Amino acid sequence: MLHVALDILSWISILAGLFFILVGTLGVLRMPDIYTRLHAAGMTDTMGAGFMILGMCFQAGLHLLALRLLLVYVFLLFTSPISTHALARAALSGKVEPYRAPFEGGD
Amino acid sequence: MDAVVDIAVLALLAVTALGTLRIRNLFAVVMLLGIYSLLCAVLWTMLDAVDVAFTEAAVGAGISTVLLLGSLALVGHEEKKPAHRPLLPLFVVLVTGGVLIYGTLDMPPFGQPDNPAHLHVAPRYIEESGHEIGVPNIVTSVLASYRGYDTMGETTVIFTAVVGVLLLLARGPRPRRPWGRDERNGDATDMEPGEERLNG
Amino acid sequence: MDDRVILRVGTKFLLPYILLFALYVQFHGDYGPGGGFQAGVIFAAGFILYALVYGLGKVKEVLPPLVAYVCSAVGVMIYAGTGVVTILKGGGFLDYNVLLHDPHHGQHWGIFSVEFGVLVTVFGVMVSIFYAFAGRRSP
Repeated sequence: MLHVALDILSWISILAGLFFILVGTLGVLRMPDIYTRLHAAGMTDTMGAGFMILGMCFQAGLHLLALRLLLVYVFLLFTSPISTHALARAALSGKVEPYRAPFEGGD
Repeated sequence: MDAVVDIAVLALLAVTALGTLRIRNLFAVVMLLGIYSLLCAVLWTMLDAVDVAFTEAAVGAGISTVLLLGSLALVGHEEKKPAHRPLLPLFVVLVTGGVLIYGTLDMPPFGQPDNPAHLHVAPRYIEESGHEIGVPNIVTSVLASYRGYDTMGETTVIFTAVVGVLLLLARGPRPRRPWGRDERNGDATDMEPGEERLNG
Repeated sequence: MDDRVILRVGTKFLLPYILLFALYVQFHGDYGPGGGFQAGVIFAAGFILYALVYGLGKVKEVLPPLVAYVCSAVGVMIYAGTGVVTILKGGGFLDYNVLLHDPHHGQHWGIFSVEFGVLVTVFGVMVSIFYAFAGRRSP
């Protein structure tokens, strides 16, 4: 019974992670400039990888493996925002203009 | 089900390789090489060779990318157009590839337990490693104990590679001059961190 | 420089764990994936990260190029030295059984010492090649 519940929970988590990764990838492909693309890619790292790791933790149970997976996720939580920030800073110092939507005249 | 993942990863590998060949912007090529190395690491993991996958991910997607970016700072960001169409090299590569594929038609099926390659020393390593050496990881026991000479040769080859690189690229001791900087080789030891060419 | 605070603080926080992970991979090569090569590369990657964020001058103060060159040679010496020690103890070259009082312990410590030699060599090689590439400016 517990195994079935854990299996269902891990299925839901992995599918949620898959959804976020798909949405993030779609965002990277369709967003207009680098800053918005970085926003989408960051979501892939935190939400997508987070849900996948949660799903794997459910499969691992109460084991040292679950602790290692959580440590990997903590490391990811530290490095992903730092690298996104570094990329955005590099783009800014390379004078990439942010995308500005064309201004519709108010009425 | 495994076959689907295998075919998908191999197809991605082929697409990445083609992209590396055809794209002219060298930054994109360096990033594609990093992706290629990551896909190779996934491939080794699917073949159950976890140590090799670990090494491939660390060396290929880590250090190699940094070194390629460092050399990009020296050579510029666009690949030059080739001077002539490489028809003869293409012909040679196709003939060699065809001959190699023809050679693999003669090989026994992949992964069968009674292949000749699996009957020579591999059973001895797998069966005797436990009580001869006592180390749980058979890869380490084969690498460091049964084939210790080969690993020593490998280490010496790595050392020889660094000697070659240093002979070609490193600069000798700088003459101590109290005024100005040594412009001989453009060494950056006294650059401010903000001026690093590497981060340009 | 106060415009790179996030990078610097993040690197300063993560660097000890990267080096610790390299040592973990080295010592757990007996029980799981790992060993000398991977550990040497990860150890060198920690130093290269420090060089990328803090600048080449700072990392050359921490690890002078001469130390990196010496490390690459000393590692090979440790490896071959293990073989010489086994000869002096009466066995063949790299015959770990004669290293200690007991073949199992001998194998364990022999493997440990050669993997340490590989770690030192690979670390020295990666850092040396990085130093050779990094400091150059375009002609």
